[in-house]
Amino acid sequence: MLLEAQAVTKAFDSFRAVSDADIAVEEGEIVGLIGPNGAGKSTFFNCLAGDMVPTAGRIAFAGEDVTRASPEAHARIGVGRTFQVPATFEDMSVLDNVMVGAYLRHPHRNDAREHARRIIELTGLKGQMDQWARSLGTPGRKRLEIARVLATSPRLMLLDESLAGLTPTELQEAIALVRTIHEMGVTIVIVEHIMEVIMTLTKRVLVFNQGHVIASGKPEDVVKDEAVIEAYLGRGQHIRRERRQ
Amino acid sequence: MKSLTAAGPAALLLAAGLLSYPVVFSDPYYLDIGVTFLLAAISASAWNVVGGYAGQVSVGHSMFFGIGAYAPLLFYTLFKWPPMVGIPVGIAVSVALAVVIGVPTFRLTGHYFSMATIAVAELIRIFFGTWNLVGAAIGLQGPATARGWWDLTFRSELPYYYIFLAVLALLLYFTFAVERRRFGYYLRAIKAGERASRSLGVPVQQTKIKALIFSAAFTSVAGSLYSIKTGFIDPESGFGILVSVQMVIIAALGGAGTLFGPLVGALILIPLQTATNTWFGGGGSGLTYILYGGIIVVIARFEPGGVFELWDRIVPRRWRRKYAA
Amino acid sequence: MLLLQVIVGGLLLGAIYALFSSGLTLIWGMMNFINFAHGEFVMLGMYVALLVVVWLGGGPAVFGFAAAFALFVLGVAVYLSLIRHVLRGPMIAQILSTFGLALLLRYTAFWIFSANFVSLPQTSLSGTVNISGILMPVPQLVAGLVAIMLTVGLHLLLTKTTVGSKLLAVSEDRNAAMLMGIRPDRMQALAWGLSAGAAGIAGALMATAYPWSPSVGETFGLTAFVVVALGGFGSVPGALYAGLIVGLIQAISAFWLGPIYKDIVVYALFVALLWLRPQGLMGKA
Repeated sequence: MLLEAQAVTKAFDSFRAVSDADIAVEEGEIVGLIGPNGAGKSTFFNCLAGDMVPTAGRIAFAGEDVTRASPEAHARIGVGRTFQVPATFEDMSVLDNVMVGAYLRHPHRNDAREHARRIIELTGLKGQMDQWARSLGTPGRKRLEIARVLATSPRLMLLDESLAGLTPTELQEAIALVRTIHEMGVTIVIVEHIMEVIMTLTKRVLVFNQGHVIASGKPEDVVKDEAVIEAYLGRGQHIRRERRQ
Repeated sequence: MKSLTAAGPAALLLAAGLLSYPVVFSDPYYLDIGVTFLLAAISASAWNVVGGYAGQVSVGHSMFFGIGAYAPLLFYTLFKWPPMVGIPVGIAVSVALAVVIGVPTFRLTGHYFSMATIAVAELIRIFFGTWNLVGAAIGLQGPATARGWWDLTFRSELPYYYIFLAVLALLLYFTFAVERRRFGYYLRAIKAGERASRSLGVPVQQTKIKALIFSAAFTSVAGSLYSIKTGFIDPESGFGILVSVQMVIIAALGGAGTLFGPLVGALILIPLQTATNTWFGGGGSGLTYILYGGIIVVIARFEPGGVFELWDRIVPRRWRRKYAA
Repeated sequence: MLLLQVIVGGLLLGAIYALFSSGLTLIWGMMNFINFAHGEFVMLGMYVALLVVVWLGGGPAVFGFAAAFALFVLGVAVYLSLIRHVLRGPMIAQILSTFGLALLLRYTAFWIFSANFVSLPQTSLSGTVNISGILMPVPQLVAGLVAIMLTVGLHLLLTKTTVGSKLLAVSEDRNAAMLMGIRPDRMQALAWGLSAGAAGIAGALMATAYPWSPSVGETFGLTAFVVVALGGFGSVPGALYAGLIVGLIQAISAFWLGPIYKDIVVYALFVALLWLRPQGLMGKA
């Protein structure tokens, strides 16, 4: 078991954003996390990534307790994450952005740069390598974030809506990229609203609503689950389906 | 921010210019301006490491300057030792102070660090003004005449010029080395986004503190050089807010976070300061600081990246590629 | 008996600290921003009071209102022309903006008014009262009490009025506030006006009781930092308690250790807070 979280609860004063959530991810899986807005997915994600300390519960990575570990420690042991709102280093070039990630495992400049260049090629950013990160559009930034965290050679990648806001073509490219990363041996947990991504990429899905995990299983089964449909439709939401090509 | 390495030819030209300046302008008046310029460039470049590169804006850096300035003259006053003995002591105390301030405040937001730097600098300034050991409000003096070369008390400013130039070169070299290595990338990453940096494994707290230590050490050296050259120090000239202001405005004006920004800022500001002091006469210092305040506000509002960023924006791409490294 | 007098004096001055510090904490709470020129706003309030007395011959109510109004306008102007732009920018721009403003205001005041200490000519509030053995100069007493009332008033404004809840809404969640039809920009400008206005009237109150020069801005600014840090960033009630405590500590230090120590102790308290309890008395860890 690569990542294991048990009974994770995160409360802000009296408001419980996450209640008693569990997750178990084997090495090599791609697991999806879905749910309406405000369901607690991002908060749970932040707990898994070390950005927030859970109020209760336990999180273990490769057997080690990381419940209270810092984000830096998470990166070091092999957990990487992207941000829902891309947090690229705007005033640095694409190459420099990725190098910051590369430096984690490659302390020397030349090694870091070589590794970064390879990652940049892999993620299709070669053409923009010397551009400022701020000159990229949102899709470019999302791709850069993925490249940057990939450069830290993570065992587990937590992708926070990294495929949102893309055109159909871009989306296919992004899905292909995630698949490539997965094939490289990286375990992936992905938060998404786009059902196409969930259906095509993940084998297993957890559904969040109001801080709880209300369903889990294969994507095709989960979308037929009563509780899941009620969670989405009952709140006036509907499950988005991307236009089929 | 633009490419890190400076244009090779421009840097050589600058070096040649700085080396030959005293030969061309040998008049004591111009020599003094040159020495003042170098000292300002050293202080601002030292501030730049933590304030410019790492983005942790200290507005009380005079605390390190003052410690470095008092140490040599204190050793001379108390034990009649050569003032330069105080230089490493000043560095050690400054580094300790950097840790004391950095550890609690770097965990909190940037504003907190800035507030803390002002408060501590003021605290030290007022305290030194009451402490008899360091001369209280009157301050300390250095050797009136040299007992030997080791007193570093020279009649002419020429030896000071080259000593200061050597220190500046050393500081810029170290900063350049840092820029190219992991530490430098981590500094810039912290400035560009702390949360993202953490998620990539950047040891944010440690890196900030190291930057502050590096900055404090060199600022302390600048202070030591100042008091050795002037032969005098008091709480105002060591720990005063205007000492802090000058470092900040010079670095910010030229381009905080760039290698040569502080140098450029000093090139602009020191002659300007000398001129306004002459024009405005006795009441000049008041007007000079009104001007400083205004410049700082304008920089903050319109061009936080200083002259270097301005250059980036106005100079067309074709030209820039010609001059880029 | 003398000690009691010192204590009361300290609390009265502390009340004024509380008033202007509540302005600083309001801005912090709303925008995560520290106004390094806040002390200068207080100092300007004092000079506005002086000018009104000298030119118009008004009494405390007149110059008090004038100081509040003038600084309110200044606060809004500063927000619209400067702060609004740097909020979206890098940290260096944010810090330098008000730091530079502080220098600008301070040295302009030095240039116009010179470095001499001045005080207001005698107003209708003069003399000393004797309250069970404690001699209190009337100006100090009135200034302190009015300051407490105004600080409480500010708190009530924030918590009990519609405008107040709009201000708080913006500080809680800017985007949500926008969705509810509140214009964050306007609210933030208003907050700056209130903050500066509080500083201005605190200055006017202080002018009735204590002499000053342009140099006091620097000290008041730092005092405000300490009060805000002690009371908890963003908490007006916190600023009230902390202001009183700081005034008290200052007075007792001056009494026991000597007048030179009054500022040293306060700044040392700040440094201690950084290490021990950065979230302040009323803040959350």
